[in-house]
Amino acid sequence: MAALKGILCKNQLLKSKITISHYIQNGMSQFPKYYIEPVYKKEELKELEKSGDIDRLAHLPTKPASSDSTCSFKQDPDINLFVNYVMKCGKKSLARELVEKSFENIKRIQLEKYHKCESEEEKNKLELNPRVIFHNAVENCKPLVELTGVRRGGVKYQVPVPVAQRRSLFLSMKWLIAAALEKDGKVRFTDQLARELVDAAHSKGKVVKKKQELHKQCEANRAYAHYRWN
Amino acid sequence: MLKTTVEIILRSFNRKGLSSRYLSTAVQPRHDEKLETFRTPENDPSKHNSQHLAQFYRIPLEDKNALFHQSALPKSFEEQTKTFNEICLMVRKPGIDIINYLNTLDYTKPSVRFVLYGQKGSGKTLSLAHILHYAYRNNYLLVHVPWVGNWMHRSKEFSNSETQEGYVDINLDAAAWLLHFKTQNVKLLKNTDLKLLETIEWNSRESTLKDAPLLELVEHGISRIKFASRVVNILADQIKRLSSEGVCKTLVAIDGYNAFFYPSTKVYTEKREMVPPSRITVTEAFLNLTKFDWTNSAIVVTVDELAVPDENQISYFPRYLLGKEGFNHIDPFIPVPVANYSKKELTSVINYYIERKWIQPYPGQEEELSLLANSNPYSLMKLCNSL
Repeated sequence: MAALKGILCKNQLLKSKITISHYIQNGMSQFPKYYIEPVYKKEELKELEKSGDIDRLAHLPTKPASSDSTCSFKQDPDINLFVNYVMKCGKKSLARELVEKSFENIKRIQLEKYHKCESEEEKNKLELNPRVIFHNAVENCKPLVELTGVRRGGVKYQVPVPVAQRRSLFLSMKWLIAAALEKDGKVRFTDQLARELVDAAHSKGKVVKKKQELHKQCEANRAYAHYRWN
Repeated sequence: MLKTTVEIILRSFNRKGLSSRYLSTAVQPRHDEKLETFRTPENDPSKHNSQHLAQFYRIPLEDKNALFHQSALPKSFEEQTKTFNEICLMVRKPGIDIINYLNTLDYTKPSVRFVLYGQKGSGKTLSLAHILHYAYRNNYLLVHVPWVGNWMHRSKEFSNSETQEGYVDINLDAAAWLLHFKTQNVKLLKNTDLKLLETIEWNSRESTLKDAPLLELVEHGISRIKFASRVVNILADQIKRLSSEGVCKTLVAIDGYNAFFYPSTKVYTEKREMVPPSRITVTEAFLNLTKFDWTNSAIVVTVDELAVPDENQISYFPRYLLGKEGFNHIDPFIPVPVANYSKKELTSVINYYIERKWIQPYPGQEEELSLLANSNPYSLMKLCNSL
């Protein structure tokens, strides 16, 4: 324990007020809080080497890289997150397959449009990169405000509150997945998800409508906004 | 004289760094030509040679409709052609090799047999498609089986044979194949030289007379599905005799040939007993066609791991896949390996995908994809699907 304390003091992580036990307990995590996140991208490592920060990090206790982190250029944290939201019962490879298949379908939908275009101008306008379409779709579905129940004088009011960045990302992805699941039994999830993503990227479709309706409701309930405080 | 002037000019411009390139009369390659190195304008497979290796050529739509009518090409490939808005095949070594052989074969000698083999997804079926396109352009009579496994494992209907004791007919599939044969050879079947060499009696009322055109026999099989399996057997026999007589030149192309020798199938008798391939009537026809006792013909078959169940996919070599019986049947043959992509081919495919807007380029893409897919064409296609 003394050695551990030594390391922590050296790296100025330990402040006098907080005990070691506080650091060691970290929710459900396997690793204590003083473990730092791993750097697994080649480019980031090179930058660290250049700036000299690598010496500082070299002997710090570090978490292992997770199984889905690679230094490939096609890796994208948002898509990883989306895969995790699609996942059920820990079947990650299936979830990844589904998301990849729906990206394939997006490309097929867009390329069909592309070949139907008559002029060069129209063709250049079309977005064919499924990743860009995905990001646009998620961005377009993010809500800015939402409603929460607040009890005042025995009555529950629906009070509009601003949404944090991370929660709005979560809501947007959750709605997209829910919209893709809301389909006829014969239609595949991957086909429907692809269609929803393409629609949402163009600010059309079920999910964007849902977001707009929520905004409208928040607008209607603006009189209760002050219930957020006191 | 010219040499001295060049020297003078070079000396005088030396400080400005004029290179001798500007003085040469050779045509400089244009920029847009350089971009399209993965594509060849030569769409006729009979003119392909080793210069066209690793380049894509486009199959004209009318050829595609005539040759690969319904499900004659793999489904995943069909899907790609629909998305890419064109049908392109890569010119690869096994295809070129066999086309060269076919060009130089002595057709008066007994038929030569080629066996395409390779790992799963290495491009055997599409190499066969390239060869078929060549044969189609050169007026071969085509006897093409798109996938033998469909008969052995996904047969639509089966019934006990009426003529041969203990044999089973797969009449619906046989009739479908006859239709495929007819569409592939529409032009050639109009030739009046192709006629029956003997009278065939189907039953006491129906018979097809001697000297009737071969087309009549095929159409009889399609319209009277009950006799389809028998028609296939008779057709095989007639084709052999006609080509030996020099009426036509034949190319037999069978995909997944080893399914004829794998002991278990999903075809059953009326008593629900499993029937081995040797007891299915159409097997006889194609085993007959792959013998070497006839002339004016060439035989190309593929052996594929996918034609046998997962637990027996141990090796992709012909000796293992064909078994002892099959190997003895087709021996001697010319083995033609279909390898995974070479570096040049991989670059070519990736450039083709980029040109078709199928994948977006990113730095280090080619190396990453080749390592992930182990340069296997099918795995590469699957990997690129989501990019």
